[in-house]
Amino acid sequence: MREGLIKMKILDVFKYALSGIRVRKLRTFLTTLGVIIGITGIVALLSLGEGFRIEMTGQFEQGFSLNTLTVTPGGGFMGFGGGDDEFYLLVNDTETIDEVEGVNIALAIISKQVSISSNNITRSVSVVGVNFTQYSEIYGSTFLAENGSIPFSPANDTIILGAGIADPWNNGTLFASVGDKINITWATGPILNPITKSYIANVSTILKEIGGFGLGGPSDNQIYIPITTAQEFFDTEQCNQIIIQLIDSNQETIDSVTSEIEKLYDDKVSVISPTALLSTISGMFSIIELFLVAISGIALLVAGIGIMNIMIVSVLERTREIGILKSLGMKDRNVLTIFLGEASLIGLLGGVLGIALGWGVSNVISLFLSVFMSGGVGGGFDTGQQQAMALSITPILTPTILFLAFAFSLVVCILFGLYPARRASKLNPVEALRYE
Amino acid sequence: MKDTNLDLLKNDSIEKSYVVETQDLKKTYLMGKVIVHALRGIDLKIEEGDFIAITGPSGCGKSTFLNLIGALDKPSNGKVYIDGADVSTLKGNQLANLRRKVGFVFQFFNLIQKLNARKNVELPLAIMGVNNKKRRKEAEELLRIVGLGDRINHRPTELSGGEQQRVAIARALTGNPRFLLLDEPTGNIDSKTAQEIVTLLKKLNEEKGITIILATHDQNITNEAKKIIHLIDGRIEHTNFERGVN
Ligand SMILES: Nc1ncnc2c1ncn2[C@@H]1O[C@H](COP(=O)(O)OP(=O)(O)O)[C@@H](O)[C@H]1O
Ligand SMILES: [Mg+2]
Repeated sequence: MREGLIKMKILDVFKYALSGIRVRKLRTFLTTLGVIIGITGIVALLSLGEGFRIEMTGQFEQGFSLNTLTVTPGGGFMGFGGGDDEFYLLVNDTETIDEVEGVNIALAIISKQVSISSNNITRSVSVVGVNFTQYSEIYGSTFLAENGSIPFSPANDTIILGAGIADPWNNGTLFASVGDKINITWATGPILNPITKSYIANVSTILKEIGGFGLGGPSDNQIYIPITTAQEFFDTEQCNQIIIQLIDSNQETIDSVTSEIEKLYDDKVSVISPTALLSTISGMFSIIELFLVAISGIALLVAGIGIMNIMIVSVLERTREIGILKSLGMKDRNVLTIFLGEASLIGLLGGVLGIALGWGVSNVISLFLSVFMSGGVGGGFDTGQQQAMALSITPILTPTILFLAFAFSLVVCILFGLYPARRASKLNPVEALRYE
Repeated sequence: MKDTNLDLLKNDSIEKSYVVETQDLKKTYLMGKVIVHALRGIDLKIEEGDFIAITGPSGCGKSTFLNLIGALDKPSNGKVYIDGADVSTLKGNQLANLRRKVGFVFQFFNLIQKLNARKNVELPLAIMGVNNKKRRKEAEELLRIVGLGDRINHRPTELSGGEQQRVAIARALTGNPRFLLLDEPTGNIDSKTAQEIVTLLKKLNEEKGITIILATHDQNITNEAKKIIHLIDGRIEHTNFERGVN
């Protein structure tokens, strides 16, 4: 017998492995289930994460002016930590800030939660008191009129509605349109026995739809009144924040104005740039994403240990079979291939099914989120706050995610199958045949 | 002990090459702390065309001896030559290839349960890399030779003990092995079927000249064998040359 000719065909090796899988359908299915769950998790999380990331970036890019800074009372990030309760920003602080080198416009904003009613429908919204002229100068790309025009010398009772307020159902059934009168009511004092104030406002303008969160800038779900009206109606000189437009968006300008203002207010204010905010938020999302992927990874590790366990059992219960194969002259290498082949078939199957299932799950989650977030379930005006987060995540399955999921599934299966497969291939045929 | 250099053949021709040759073959097993001497030194030469029955009480070392000359296990001492090749010098793949020269038939059939009769017989050929068509043809022919032409697609569970043993013999015959080793081939089947197996083996030996070495308790087989080796406690007790045809 010529030794060179004695070589089992790889196809025959795989066919043999496949026959083993076919015989133990249930066992194989259960093993594969572990892999499927792990891969499903990874694919769902990654594709949602990817969709979310792209959605977020899109949202932030809208209405974000790079040459703006936001000044809010209280030190630390976004007013968290180290806040001084006694410190307030005043509307006329803009005059001081205007003097700082590098500042083009300083704009005070008063915002409060009020209820507005028109045609017997009442809803709760946040109202923004602001100088319309300066506001449209800073947010020229988003503070735009759809109906009417932005009044530059508004009357006291002028009100501008965001697109989402005017057309809440997004179907042309309007809450109010230009020329309508709406009643604004503000409740203050103790919750159980509030003091209410109201006035009738005149809708002068409906804004163009903006989309996005409107963080720092105009948003679809707000209404706008002149700052002077706000000061009078809410009876306050305090403002919630001061928006600064810088002369340019250079980092040096941002840094110097930031430190100048912080010095001016003895570190009792925080000055945030949109880029810093964006990177902080996207950093937070990467951490969340990493965390979720880690969870799927653990699921896959558990699945991997399951695979190893199944493979060890499979080797044990087939010890006799391995003995027969080796006594018939099968090479160690081919025995190894049979068991690794089984493991990789499980990985292949788990990968394909996991990707398909993960894709399905992420679409279901996305559907659920969009229905929930748009307030379509709770419905009506009471969920006005949720509308501020009109967020829809479209899951995205990139080739990288596909490849990663598939490779991961295969690698986990082969890696955990290796030890039992090696053990099987090294068995002594006589001892293997004696095994009961 | 008295026949340390037993030459079964008593043949003057020095150039004679043997199918199997053993020299001072010993095998010990360690059972916990106890050393079991399964074989205590066997010297044997087996010629082409032989039909040898190895007899002896249970535990005398018959299976151990067959495993060693079938290259399934390694001796603790001494040498096994198969077709002139020293088994102890062979490694992994060479050893696997050598096993293809041996047709092994086990007492408990050792068929692969999930494969039908034909696939079981094809298996050694698949291992050798023979293509589908050729091995199918050979398997079907061998199954006909052992009288199972009409059981080709049956699974082991659908076959009687005697039929399973015949599948095992057909499997052992694939690829023209140099010799057949059978470990108590009739130990688990009824006497009538056993007789059929004996007839088959005799036919294979006489008509096809296949060398047969088997371990048995069965007087029917012993009666048909050309040579008998009686083992007791890991040693050759006596041989029966009178019955030899040589
Ligand atoms: N794997 C093993 N481990 C320990 N002892 C063994 C092993 N295989 C065989 N033996 C012992 O070796 C002796 C010979 O066994 P064996 O060759 O199977 O005898 P036979 O086939 O003639 O019945 C017996 O005493 C048996 O218990
Ligand atoms: Mg035995």
